[in-house]
Amino acid sequence: MVGGRDFFARLRRLYLPLAVFVVLGLFPFYWMLITSIKPNRELYSQKIMPLVVHQPTLKHYVDLLTETNFLTWTYNTMLVAVVTTVISVVLGTMIAYPLARLRFPGAAVVAIGVAATYLVPQPLLFIPMADIINRLELGNTLTAVMLTYPTLLIPFSAWLLMGYFKSVPRELEEAARIDGASRWQAMTRIVLPLCTPGLLSAGIFAFTLAQNEFLYALIFLAKSEVRTVPIGVVTELIRGDVFYWGQLMAGALLGSIPVAIIYSFFVDYYVAGLTAGAVKS
Amino acid sequence: MAVGPASIARPAPVAGRPATMRGLIEREGVFSWLMLAPGVLFLLAFVAYPFFYGIFLSLEDRRVASEGVFVGLANFRTLANDAVFWQVVRNTFMYVCVTTILKLAGGLAMALVINQQFRGRNLARAFLLLPFIVPTALSTVAWMWILDPTFSVVNWLLVHGGIISSGYSWLGNASLAMWSLIVVNTWRGTPFYGITLLAGLQTISPDLYEAAAIDGASTTQRFLWVTLPVIKPVLIIVTMFSVIFTFGDFQLIYALTHGGPANATHVFSTLAFDIGMSAGQLGMGAAVALSILPALAALIVVLTIYLRRE
Amino acid sequence: MTTRRDFLKVTGGAVAGALVPRGASAAPKAMSVVRESSFIKPFDDYFSKTLLPEYEKLTGIKMSYEATSVGGMLTRLTTIAETKSGPEIAMTGLNQALLFDNSLVDVTDVANGIGKQLGGWHENVLEVVVSKGKWKALPWGNIGQLEVYRTDWFKEVGVTKFPETWEDLLAAGRLLKKKGHPFGFELGHGFGDNHGWLYPLFWSYGGREVDRDGKTVVIDSAETAKALDFCRKFYQETMFEDVLGWTDVNNNKAFFGEQISCTNNASSILVVGKRDFPEIAKVTDHALNPAGPKGRFHVMNAVSHALLTHAPDQAAAKAFLKWLYDDKQLSRWLTSADAYYAPFLHGYDDHPMWKPEPRYLPYKESLKTTRPHTWPGPQGPAASESVAKYVLVDMFAKACRGDATKDVIATAAAQLKQIYKAK
Repeated sequence: MVGGRDFFARLRRLYLPLAVFVVLGLFPFYWMLITSIKPNRELYSQKIMPLVVHQPTLKHYVDLLTETNFLTWTYNTMLVAVVTTVISVVLGTMIAYPLARLRFPGAAVVAIGVAATYLVPQPLLFIPMADIINRLELGNTLTAVMLTYPTLLIPFSAWLLMGYFKSVPRELEEAARIDGASRWQAMTRIVLPLCTPGLLSAGIFAFTLAQNEFLYALIFLAKSEVRTVPIGVVTELIRGDVFYWGQLMAGALLGSIPVAIIYSFFVDYYVAGLTAGAVKS
Repeated sequence: MAVGPASIARPAPVAGRPATMRGLIEREGVFSWLMLAPGVLFLLAFVAYPFFYGIFLSLEDRRVASEGVFVGLANFRTLANDAVFWQVVRNTFMYVCVTTILKLAGGLAMALVINQQFRGRNLARAFLLLPFIVPTALSTVAWMWILDPTFSVVNWLLVHGGIISSGYSWLGNASLAMWSLIVVNTWRGTPFYGITLLAGLQTISPDLYEAAAIDGASTTQRFLWVTLPVIKPVLIIVTMFSVIFTFGDFQLIYALTHGGPANATHVFSTLAFDIGMSAGQLGMGAAVALSILPALAALIVVLTIYLRRE
Repeated sequence: MTTRRDFLKVTGGAVAGALVPRGASAAPKAMSVVRESSFIKPFDDYFSKTLLPEYEKLTGIKMSYEATSVGGMLTRLTTIAETKSGPEIAMTGLNQALLFDNSLVDVTDVANGIGKQLGGWHENVLEVVVSKGKWKALPWGNIGQLEVYRTDWFKEVGVTKFPETWEDLLAAGRLLKKKGHPFGFELGHGFGDNHGWLYPLFWSYGGREVDRDGKTVVIDSAETAKALDFCRKFYQETMFEDVLGWTDVNNNKAFFGEQISCTNNASSILVVGKRDFPEIAKVTDHALNPAGPKGRFHVMNAVSHALLTHAPDQAAAKAFLKWLYDDKQLSRWLTSADAYYAPFLHGYDDHPMWKPEPRYLPYKESLKTTRPHTWPGPQGPAASESVAKYVLVDMFAKACRGDATKDVIATAAAQLKQIYKAK
C-alpha cells in the first residue's frame, strides 16, 4: 500500500498544508522569541540578517524581571482570570440551566436579554461602569475587574452551556426526580456531572477572554502593583514614542506561557464543550 | 420575583407533595427564577444600567466634566452627515466581512487538515491554537514589529527573496493598511474556527462517508453532502461569536494604526474612542458606539431564529 | 430638563440600589498624584523615590504616585473627572486644563507665587492654562517638537548648518533622498510627531484653521493652499511613502535604523541614542523648525499639574503644589529629567540644567515661538475635537497622497464648520 503515489497524495493533502499553517501561525512567536534575545544594536540594524540571533542576550529578560513588576502582574492576571472564570461559570450555569431545561414564565425575555447583553458595545459602557466602581469604592483594586469582566463572560458562558444542557436526555433527570431527588439535586448530581466537558469549555473560554481583556483593565487598574500582564507590559514598556522592544517581546512571550500550558491540558474538553450543544445527532 | 400561575408550571412529578417551602421551591417557575436571580440581577446592575445610561448620553450634547443638554437625535443627524462616519461604516463592514470569510475558509481548511490521522496530531493542534489564546495586546506588539516599515521582516524576506525591489509600507499605505489589519485579525481568529470546526468534523461517523463512497460520491460531493450539513450548526455558532468580537475589535487597530492613514482603518470602536475620549464629547461618542447596534441586532434576530428552529 | 445627576439618582437608585453611597471624605491623611509615565524614567523615579518621601517626612501626609500609560492620561482624566474620584492632583497636557475647566480648582494664587519667585511665566503658556482669568494648571515644562537630524549626512550633501527655511530644507532633502537618506516626517494618526511639524508648517505659510473668536472658519485660503502645495512637494521629493501610516513610534525606529536623515520629534531620540546607540547619537543634532513666508512656529505641549475639585482638602493639595514648585524642589526635579522639559519660567532661562548638553538648547529657544494646536482659535472643546479628528493631519496626508488641493481644503473646511459652528 505504501507507494510513491500514496506519499505524494499525503504530502499534498496533509504535510504541505499543515506546514503552511504551522509556519504562518507560529512565526510571530518565533519573532517574539528572537527579538527578546537580540541586543538592541542588532534589533535596529538593517544590515544584519534578521532571522537569527548573532549575539543572544538574556538582558531583556533580566530587565523585565528586575525593573518591572512583571511577576506581580502575572500573579494578578491569574488571580483575576480564575476568580472571574468561577463567577462567570457559576452564574452562567444558573442562567443556562433553567433556560435550557425548564419552562417558566418570562423565559423568552431572559433569553433575549442575555443574548442582547454581549452585543452591547464596550466603549459605551465604561464611563457608567467607572461610576459604579467608584461608588463601590473599588478603584485600583483587582475586585473592580473581577466584577466587570463577568459582564462580558456570563452571557457567553450561559450561551455555551445552554447548548450543552439541552443535549442531556430529560429522562435521566426525571428518573432521579421520581426517586425523590429535588430539582437542585437532580441538577447538581445528575445533569452537571454529565456536562463536565461543557463546564470546562465555558471555563476555559472565560479564562481566555479574562486574561485578554484590555479596556476595563486599562481604566480601572491604574497602579502598577494591581495591573495585569497586558496592561502592565503595554503601559510600562512603552514610554512616549520609545518602545522597549526586547522587554516587550520578553513580556509577551512569558505572558503567553501560562495560558498555553493551561490550554495544552484542557484543549480536548474545550473543543468537546464548545460544540456539544450544536452538534446533536 | 415573578412567580407564574400554577397552570403554567408543569405539575410536580411526585404526587401529593405538601405545600411546604420545599414544595414551593420545587415548582418549575419558582426554581427557575431562584436560579436566574443572581445572574440576572448582576447583569442588570452592571450591563443594563450602563447601557441605558449610554443611550441617555447619546441623546445629549454632553462634554466631559460638564452638564449635558438634551438634544434628541441631533448627534445621530450630525453623524449621518459626516463623511468620516460613513467611511468608518464602510471600513468596519469591510473589516468584519473579509476577516470572517478568510477565517472561515482558513479555519475549515485547518480543520480538514488536522482531521487526518498523523503522528503528533495533538501537539499540532495545541500549537495551532496559540495565536488565539495569547493576549491580543501582546501579540499585537509583535505584529507592530513585524510590520514596521523600517524593520519589517516581511519586507526583508520579500526583498532578499528577489520578489520586490524595495519594501512595502504595510501600515502606511491606505489600501495596504486595511489588508494588514485583516491579516493580523485573521491570524488571530483562524485557530478558533479551526479547532471548533475540527470538533464538529470528529462527530461525523465514518459510516456516513463509507455509504457516500459506495454511492460513488467524489471527494467534493462528500464534502458538500456529508461534511457540510453536519458541521453547519457549529459553523454558524462559531461565525456568530467571531463576528461579534470582530465588530468590537479595538486593541488591535488602535495599537497598529490608530485608524490612520487618513482614516483608512478607522472603525466604530476607534472612532467612538477618539470622539468620546480624545475629544471629550461623551454624547457624540456614545452615539457612535450605539450606531453599531442595528447591525448587531440583526445578528440577534438571526441567532434567535436559528435557536428557535433547534 | 433632566440632567445627568438626576439620571444617576433615578436609575442608580432603582437599578443599582445596592451600591454603597460615596463615603464622607476623610481628613487628608493621604494624597495622590497621577501623571502619564514620563519618557524620562529618572524624572518619575526622582518624584516617587525622593520628592514624595521628603514631603511625607515633612508633613506626615502619605503621598502616592500613579503613572498612567502614555496616551492614556486623557482617558484617566476623563474617568477621574466624570466619577469625581481618584487622585486629586493630575497631569494635564495640551489644552486639557481648559477642557476640564469645570473640574479644576483655581490655582491662580499658587501660580502667582511661583511666577514671583522664578522670574515670571512665559506669556504664551497662559493660553492653555488660564481660563477666564483663572489659572487651572501649573506647567512644569514644555515637551517641544523640533527638527532632529543627522549632521554627518547633511554634511555629505554640503549642508553644514540646518536650513533656515522650509524651501531650503526641501532643497537639502532632495539631495539627501538621492543619496538614499530620505526624510521621515509622520503624516499618520499618532499623537505628537504629526502635529509637531504640520501646524508649524501650516502657520508659517499663514494658514489658520479658525479665527480667534472660535466661530469663523478661515482655513479656505490661498495661504493654506500654498502650505499644502509645498507639503506635497516636500513629501514626494524628500520622504518615502511609509510616513503616511506612521504613528509616533516609527520615526524613532527609522532614525535608529539609519533609514531617515531628518524628522520632527521631541528630544527622546537623542536621549535613547546616548543610551543605546552612541555612534548615532554622536552625529545627531536638533534645530528649530524652519521658517516660512509668515514666520517660524513650534507646537506647544505644556505639561502641568492640575488640582481637581473633588480633592478632600484643597488647601493641603495646594500646599503640596507650592512646595513642589518651589525652586528648591523644582530645580532638582527638572535637572533629573536631563533638560527634557523646558520650563515656562524666565528664572530658569539660564538654569544649569541646560549646561551639560548644548544640543538641547533649541528646545528652550523654541519656547518663544511656540503655540498651542489650532492656534489662534480658543483652546476649548472644539479645538480638541479638531485635533482628535485629525482634520489638519488628514488634510495634509490626503494632499501628499495626491488629492487635489482644493478638494482637501473643502473637506477640512466642512469638517471645521461642523466642529466650530454649534459651539
